[in-house]
Amino acid sequence: MVGPDVWAVVRREYLQRVRSRWFVVATLGAPLVMGALFLIPPLLASREGVAERTIAVVDGTGVLYGRIAPELEAGGWRVREQRWHAEVVTELREQARAGDIAGFLMLDELTLETGEAILYTTSPPTAVRQLTLRGSIGRAALEYQLEQRGVDAASMLAGGDLRVELLSGETTRTEEPRFLVAYVGAVFIYMVILFYAVAVMRATLEEKTSRIVEVIISSMEPWHLMLGKIFGVGAVGLTQMVVWLTMSLAVVTAGLPPLIAARPELASLEGVQEVFPGVDLLAYFSGFFVCGYFMYSSLYAAVGAMCNSDEEAQQAQLPLILVLVVPILMLINVIQDPMSPLSVGLSLFPLFTPFLMWGRVVGGAVPLWQVGLSFVLMMLAIVGIAWVAGRIYKVGILMAGKRPTLPELWRWVREA
Amino acid sequence: MSDDGLALRLEGVTKRFGKHTAVDRFDFEVPRGTISGLLGPNGSGKTTSIRMIMGILLPDEGKVSLFGADPGEARRTRVGYLPEERGVYRKMKCVDLVVFLAEIHGVPRPEGRRRAYAWIERLGLGAWADRRVEDLSKGMQQKIQFIGTVVHEPDLLVLDEPFSGLDPINQDVLEEIVREFHAKGTTILFSTHLMDQAERLCERVCLISKARKVLDADLKELKAAERKGVVAVEFEGPDAWLAGPEIDRIEEREGALHLLLREGADHQKILERGVRSGARILKFDLVEPRLHEIFVRHAGVGSAAGDGLPMGAAPPGSAGMRAEDAW
Repeated sequence: MVGPDVWAVVRREYLQRVRSRWFVVATLGAPLVMGALFLIPPLLASREGVAERTIAVVDGTGVLYGRIAPELEAGGWRVREQRWHAEVVTELREQARAGDIAGFLMLDELTLETGEAILYTTSPPTAVRQLTLRGSIGRAALEYQLEQRGVDAASMLAGGDLRVELLSGETTRTEEPRFLVAYVGAVFIYMVILFYAVAVMRATLEEKTSRIVEVIISSMEPWHLMLGKIFGVGAVGLTQMVVWLTMSLAVVTAGLPPLIAARPELASLEGVQEVFPGVDLLAYFSGFFVCGYFMYSSLYAAVGAMCNSDEEAQQAQLPLILVLVVPILMLINVIQDPMSPLSVGLSLFPLFTPFLMWGRVVGGAVPLWQVGLSFVLMMLAIVGIAWVAGRIYKVGILMAGKRPTLPELWRWVREA
Repeated sequence: MSDDGLALRLEGVTKRFGKHTAVDRFDFEVPRGTISGLLGPNGSGKTTSIRMIMGILLPDEGKVSLFGADPGEARRTRVGYLPEERGVYRKMKCVDLVVFLAEIHGVPRPEGRRRAYAWIERLGLGAWADRRVEDLSKGMQQKIQFIGTVVHEPDLLVLDEPFSGLDPINQDVLEEIVREFHAKGTTILFSTHLMDQAERLCERVCLISKARKVLDADLKELKAAERKGVVAVEFEGPDAWLAGPEIDRIEEREGALHLLLREGADHQKILERGVRSGARILKFDLVEPRLHEIFVRHAGVGSAAGDGLPMGAAPPGSAGMRAEDAW
């Protein structure tokens, strides 16, 4: 079925896109922008002079400094312990005025009881810093009080632990739910599928409006051309994502540790490694992306083939956009309640599966048979959609004049 | 199916768009190795016929055969097609575009690349081979597309209005190449509304008008058969001899009088009468009719650009045509 003509189309589409300036910019640029988003705030913070980040801590309790100092340092402060004496406030006040320190923190017995403390400073710290400062102090005080009563303060403060055991004994993922990865991943799948499916539509439209399609169709089946387009653009998408993945892996595993070692003030970046997806998630991601891409790119190819201009295509893709909105609207619900009948039903609907099943798989417990079933359903949907879209494409690609109405489309599908 | 010596055969091919019949029961044969012209005014069904030949449209009735068989794979590898509406991938390098077009017609890439450079060089675009198509002028893009049409060395070239949009110099270049392919034995079918081009190039002509075939003949035979119709004369002296039963009408064209004879009339009789009348005859010339005139006569297609031919039967069918079209 797939002949050399299809590969010629695939190769052309692939090389043409991969060589384009935009591809290079987007592929290399996107990780740079992302990296910059992670790196710049801590870097900016670290660019402040040492004095501006230094605070003195006057610990009147004698038990809090050891607990608070590491947390403050992790938050980007430089901490200096100051013994209490009668003149300490005047002394530190002078130092702060002279610009040697950013300010000083007073901890006393009241702090131990209520978590209240006073920060004297030349300029108010940012809201976030105030918040972390307050959090650290309160936490330290709480920890101390709990330990006084013989409680495992560390586990209590970590939020305890809840084990889930299903009575049915079904196999489930028992990892901690990863809401963020579930949500961000689903949105990312949505974005890349839409992006490349629209690229297929635009390419189809361009071929149609430039009339080159007439030469191509005279020497190959329209269906082959469509297939070639979809494979070519899809390969570009995969290439781009592999580059992104490799780059971020390289940065996170090879680049980040030395960076943190060299500049301890960037220690907050260490958390990035933990949210990085593992092999299982990458496999799911690829599977959902590829299946979703095939479904939507076929649909978008058909839309491109039935239109004659960008404006028309904008309108004609509206029904598709409406379909695509549903999973995005339902995403949070599904992630929060992955086993409800609604979540199960929606995530098994092939057009929604790539986004919602991903959310369920990552976000919580999904029986494996449902994941398997969703892939089978997607495969069936791909065949069905390709069949219908191929027929619309075949008629539409050579059709000039007005966009077809729904009954006309139906006739195309039947008669093509 | 047996080999019938034809590169192309249409049998009763009909295409309707809604209520409009674009091509009506069209029978047409193109013998191998010939140059044939498919002529007709705009909207007469030329392009629709060609699209059916190329399998882009399916006929509602009738049948298309290539090289004595169902089109099938032959259409991909043995036919080169230049559509009326030119199209290129504007962002591609010229040479890549040609290689791609060669590839989808079954030429392996290395061979396609070699041929692409050779052709681009040959058509004087060598300096542009590695530039993007969009950097080229329209005429140059058209040349690139023409290269894409012939790069797989097809046995049958189907060219829809190949000369339109080219300047005279490039028209000559293209004409030369078409002749060369013809000399190599390639069968060529092209559509045009430019009569002088058709007259220079074609061995066979087929005229369609309003979806129907009007005329389909060997050009030389056609001209010989049509020659008896018009006599150009110049003379001094009396002119009474010009009145006679043989002569239908007299018109003045390009300084000479053209006698339009009746069907079956013998021009010899007129000459005799002239000599006897004492007129001094300077010129008595059987005019070889121009293709244009033959077709206007046969098709009865009115022409704003006509130069005084009998128009009696011309219907008002030429609306919307530009005067410089030869129709």
